[in-house]
Amino acid sequence: MIGFIAFSLRRAWQGFWRNAVMSIAATATMVLMLLLLAGFWILNTGLLAGLEYTESKVNIVADFHDNATEGQVRDLVARVEAMPEVLRVDSISRDEALQRFKASRRAQREEDLTRFLDSNPFHASIEIFLTDAELYTVVQNRLCSEPGPTGKGCAEEPAIESVKNQQALVDNVVTITNVLQTAGAVVLVVIGLIVLFIIVNTIRLAVVARAEEIEIMRLVGASDAFIRWPFVFEGAMVGVLGAALALGILGAAADPLSRFMFDFFRVLPLEFGGLTRDVLVLVLGAGIGLGVVGSWVSVRTYLIR
Amino acid sequence: MAGPARSRHPPEVPSGRLPLHGAGGSLALDVALPIVPARSLRERLLGGGRTRARTDRTVLVLHDVTKEYPNGRVALRDVDLVIPEGDFVFLVGPSGAGKSTLIKLLIRDELPTRGEVVLDGQDLARIGRRNVPRVRRKIGIVFQDFKLLPRKSVWENVAFALEVTGTPRRRIRPAVDRVLALVGLTAQARQHPHQLSGGEQQRTAIARALVHDPRLIIADEPTGNLDPLISWEIIQLLLRINELGVTVLMATHNADVVTALRKRVVALEEGRVIRDEVGGTYHRVD
Repeated sequence: MIGFIAFSLRRAWQGFWRNAVMSIAATATMVLMLLLLAGFWILNTGLLAGLEYTESKVNIVADFHDNATEGQVRDLVARVEAMPEVLRVDSISRDEALQRFKASRRAQREEDLTRFLDSNPFHASIEIFLTDAELYTVVQNRLCSEPGPTGKGCAEEPAIESVKNQQALVDNVVTITNVLQTAGAVVLVVIGLIVLFIIVNTIRLAVVARAEEIEIMRLVGASDAFIRWPFVFEGAMVGVLGAALALGILGAAADPLSRFMFDFFRVLPLEFGGLTRDVLVLVLGAGIGLGVVGSWVSVRTYLIR
Repeated sequence: MAGPARSRHPPEVPSGRLPLHGAGGSLALDVALPIVPARSLRERLLGGGRTRARTDRTVLVLHDVTKEYPNGRVALRDVDLVIPEGDFVFLVGPSGAGKSTLIKLLIRDELPTRGEVVLDGQDLARIGRRNVPRVRRKIGIVFQDFKLLPRKSVWENVAFALEVTGTPRRRIRPAVDRVLALVGLTAQARQHPHQLSGGEQQRTAIARALVHDPRLIIADEPTGNLDPLISWEIIQLLLRINELGVTVLMATHNADVVTALRKRVVALEEGRVIRDEVGGTYHRVD
């Protein structure tokens, strides 16, 4: 067995270098295809992170009556926090609401109109953040299914003055993110298939160029394993080399790219370490996997019928 | 299964001087080949202690073999053929007569539609895919176009046949050296095919075919690409190998060689064996 593996590895090494032009062509194709795959993977991960970020901004805002007691508010927050669909609840006091308004006017370089007010017109409120934007209706209904007797507020929550209805906006966000998620996945699958076919075909060309060698092996009585495995190892070699070069290029590009996209990564809930690991596994796995599969499939044509 | 018919001419024992029919008449060619005792082939090839004596065993039996391809073309019809160990058989016939199909059946590249192909006691249709390589090692095959690997040296080309069949490395070197000595290519061992003459390339291919110590050598038009002088060298080599006890089946269009040697001739035409005679000529003599 060890002898067989040693033989296969030696033959793979010889095969790679003695057919250097085809091997280099296959490796170059492998590098370009893996870069394409990794590029789209990174893009798709960014897209998903962006969509996740957008969805995370969907929240339910409930304003309290001015006469709502602290106990009522605390009790409501506790109950809402206990809901499984709720990620977290932020309480905003009337003062905080006023400060936020002032800050947003300043940010927009608009005049601070609050100085003309006698009193603080803002209500205390809670912002409910959801685990999934699609649960908006569920949580909103649970919080407040019927309006109060005056047509405003909530029948079951007397402390609530009103719940802002953002249903239309949320529906739009959910629709857009779902379409983009699906489109991203489809594009990635299509790119994956293109990469698969191009790499398998390139390796097939390299194998076909050595059809006579395989023919001789068959005629002198080489078993299928002795014919197949050197080519499979050679395919794996092309895969490892291609993946190493692709990763080298990505590594060299990572620093300027991450500087360029610093804000992007700062804003998005994207774990850079996780992305690096994913790309490493993807490129190496795809490189070796496609090299092996390409060789296996290509050599099969020539084996004993 | 009828045995080969005896012709009027007794079979000749090939000598070191062979007639060569060229445009200017007959020539004689001296071919110096090492004289090797017949019983020591295995020792010479693989260094083993086993020897192969001529016996009455049959190497190859074709019984009622018909081969029809999926496109409906019948390449062989009801072929019966028995080749005893140590025989030298010429397979002749026009192009398309079925010679190539017959060879494909022998190396189990194809299976017969009907009938049996029995090589060294094994029905090739029943051996299963896994055993095909082992059966092929009992056959050494030589082609018109040599089929050498251009990037490998003579030595490596011959060693390749052993390497790819899992022969331990310590056995490869002596076996290759011996077989190269047998075909007279020791001095050219490090050269590559493009540095060799046609005859040397074919001798390399013969060495590769021999290195497994086969029961049967199949030579498919081995002289087709060679000039007459070199052709006779190759024929001489095959005769010598046959004298050492290896059965030889040679498909050829070379009428001069077939007629001069008066060996057993099996003639195919339109897929049928139309003639099988010992001491035969290329064309039928009535």
